[in-house]
Amino acid sequence: MIERRNMMESLWIFPGQGGQHEGMLNRIDSDLKNHVEELLNLKLKDSAQAYQDSVQLQVGIALLQVDQVRKLAKYNLKPNLVAGHSLGVFAAAYAAGVIKLDDLFRLVKYRATLMQNSYPHGYGMGVIVGLERKYIESLVAKVSSTDMPVYVSNQNATLQTAISGNLSAIREVLSLAKNKGASKAIILKVPVPSHSPLMKNVSQKLQEMLETIELNRPQRVIYLANTTGKPLRQIIRIKQDLSDNVSNPVYFDTMMSVATNYQPQVILNFSPGKPFKKVIGEKFDQISQIYLDQMSIEDAAYLLGKWERKSN
Amino acid sequence: MSKKNWASHRQAKDEKMQRVAPLLEGKFAKTSDVVKILERLLNSGDKVVLEGDNQKQASFLSKALASVDPEKVHDLHMIMSSISRPEHLDIFEDGIASKMDFSFAGPQSTRVSQMIADGSLKIGDIHTYLELYARLFIDLIPNVVLVAADKADKDGNLYTGYNTEETPVIVESAAFKDGIVIVQTNEVVDKLPRVDIPGDWVDVVIPADEPYQLEPLFTRDPQHITETQILMGMLAIRGIYEKHKVQSVNHGVGYNTAAIELLLPTYGEQLGLKGKIVPNWEINPTPTLIPAIESGWVQSVHSFGGEVGMEKYIAARPDVFFVGKDGTMRSNRAFGQMAGQYALDMFVGSTLQIDKYGNSSTVTEGRLSGFGGAPNMGSNPTGRRHSTPAWQSLKPDDNPLGKGQKLVVQMVETYGANKRPVFVDKLDAVEVRKEAKLANVPIMIYSEDTTHIVTEEGIAYLYKTSSMAERQAAIAAIAGVTPLGMTSDTATLNDLRNRGIVALPEDLGVRRTDAKRSLLAAQNMSDLIEWSKGLYNPPAKFRSWS
Repeated sequence: MIERRNMMESLWIFPGQGGQHEGMLNRIDSDLKNHVEELLNLKLKDSAQAYQDSVQLQVGIALLQVDQVRKLAKYNLKPNLVAGHSLGVFAAAYAAGVIKLDDLFRLVKYRATLMQNSYPHGYGMGVIVGLERKYIESLVAKVSSTDMPVYVSNQNATLQTAISGNLSAIREVLSLAKNKGASKAIILKVPVPSHSPLMKNVSQKLQEMLETIELNRPQRVIYLANTTGKPLRQIIRIKQDLSDNVSNPVYFDTMMSVATNYQPQVILNFSPGKPFKKVIGEKFDQISQIYLDQMSIEDAAYLLGKWERKSN
Repeated sequence: MSKKNWASHRQAKDEKMQRVAPLLEGKFAKTSDVVKILERLLNSGDKVVLEGDNQKQASFLSKALASVDPEKVHDLHMIMSSISRPEHLDIFEDGIASKMDFSFAGPQSTRVSQMIADGSLKIGDIHTYLELYARLFIDLIPNVVLVAADKADKDGNLYTGYNTEETPVIVESAAFKDGIVIVQTNEVVDKLPRVDIPGDWVDVVIPADEPYQLEPLFTRDPQHITETQILMGMLAIRGIYEKHKVQSVNHGVGYNTAAIELLLPTYGEQLGLKGKIVPNWEINPTPTLIPAIESGWVQSVHSFGGEVGMEKYIAARPDVFFVGKDGTMRSNRAFGQMAGQYALDMFVGSTLQIDKYGNSSTVTEGRLSGFGGAPNMGSNPTGRRHSTPAWQSLKPDDNPLGKGQKLVVQMVETYGANKRPVFVDKLDAVEVRKEAKLANVPIMIYSEDTTHIVTEEGIAYLYKTSSMAERQAAIAAIAGVTPLGMTSDTATLNDLRNRGIVALPEDLGVRRTDAKRSLLAAQNMSDLIEWSKGLYNPPAKFRSWS
């Protein structure tokens, strides 16, 4: 009789901005850090002050995630599914073998610079918990105007929706939402109207840069798209997701629903923070999880090995 | 005038078989030749049944199918009772297949929904299981079937063991209509424990590189049963099982029905119901039934499929289960569904949404899940003529020619796990039908077939209502604080209670405070193992204590 063999299918999740903190780059491989600093001609300060700056912040998070991917690779650990949220798509594409290291960092720095310069002040994002997306769309339609535009943006969980645009308009939508029974309606600490059509210019420029970069088709790994939630294997579509996610809603809720269709047995949550606890709890019934924010790569590799043996 | 060729299908099959002759030794092909075999035996446009059952998956063959060259094989018309694995849909993204007839797509429901929307997947019909099997013999006759066996002998006889499931019905539809039967087998042996499929019906056998995928889908850990579910179970036992003297039943998969199974040896015993209700079952060998079996409640269990970990227990209880001379269980989903639709007194299941009219569906926005056994078992075949007390108890008093009815019970908490109300004004399925351009709204169980709804508030006896308005009032009366429930008032509720159309716990003599977890015959997985006298061996993922 052949033994039943279940390889542990793994989903790797890469968050975007939000969970950054001073000192998060402490354990980064110093050769890698030096290489990136030299490549981008940028000194990474890794301080709370520095993380007010989009370039410091986005390059810092990408570096942290890429470092974790490279260390896991030393234990021969690779993903079956990757899901990046916003900025997280770049490390996700790297983990899937789609984009090369230097290209990734050049792209991220360019993205951050473009975003920073596009809306110096008066714009941002908010989040509403407890109301249906369709209903929030109707509130936004009442408030949004040409002078003070606001859009429904990211769907992070079933009843957790972001809005992006002009800050006054956002505040107005948030107060309507509270009146209509939202359990939470607050401004996010994001200084730009990400994931809305207001970022179309940034997408356009990223598309142009991506045309000059060579990407590889992912081998035996599925890339979950921000803009549609769909599972992608074709380079042309992944490329589009890398450039367009900044000007489109991230359907993380759908991405996780699609992920369940691949029946992963373990989820690896990359740093920083753990923003997706709610949606993962909604979609996955008692799945084994690792938070790289809370344990070393060595411990993570040990745990994965143990679970793998147990599942056999 | 040229003579008509009445055996063109046989010739076409012979020609295909010639193409693979160099790769075969007897009926056997090498594991490594699987993709070549498929490329030579599949013609573009063929109707193909790929065995994706509720539990067993022909996973070696499905992976191979996803690896064929789309230049050589494309636009297949797939017929599958269950879309379970990612590659079942990857073949549509790559153009290998273009059309799908299916029943259940729960594990792939989000992708099915997306792929219909973007046009990469065309749907024939979403069938009930019995409609799908039946149409294999009428207008969906397959050219090639890809199935999974546990063991094959040198002559191609097959042993399918506990999880026989759909294999017989699929093979039969091809073997006698010049279709080609391709089998993956976990192993090849000299002597089979028993023959489930004769080798005479089989064309090609390929040893798989790993055993077929099998999931323990019907295992529910009693630890997760809540006191609300226990209360609902008590209501159902008193207000339905006892009231209608139900003799035969199918339980859907869920914690509500698991609670009932675990309440029979305790609460049911206290009520003196042992020997009076549910001796006969059509159900997968769900571990939560062990305490009821061990305490002598259950006389017979026929099953659609097996359940991982229950093998030794079943083998040791041949008086209860359907077991071969070799000692291992024989299951058969086609016969199980037939029994579910035609032989049972009652079906008890759950759902994600019920509309104000009493229609229910598990298809929700963005998730085209299709349905498992519920639509067959949860429908009332109008031609039936049972004399059982339960069937007769639903007969109208005022019509001498009136018929009885199958009991179809929906058990739901008024708010679902996602904190959304289960009772809705309009089913999401109505919109899904438009988006997916389906012929029918994907309703799981129709209002007209639903005889009872149980919630934590009470029971609505829908079969007693005499108009749609009254039916809506009865549903609203037990819909709690959902928007639909808020439309009910005390006067209406009391009127419905007086006329026996709605029963609250106090009307049934059930005390809410008695609904405690200590009332369950088993409270966790180790209790179940103990009840089974160590014969039940749960899969690792249910062994949280080890």
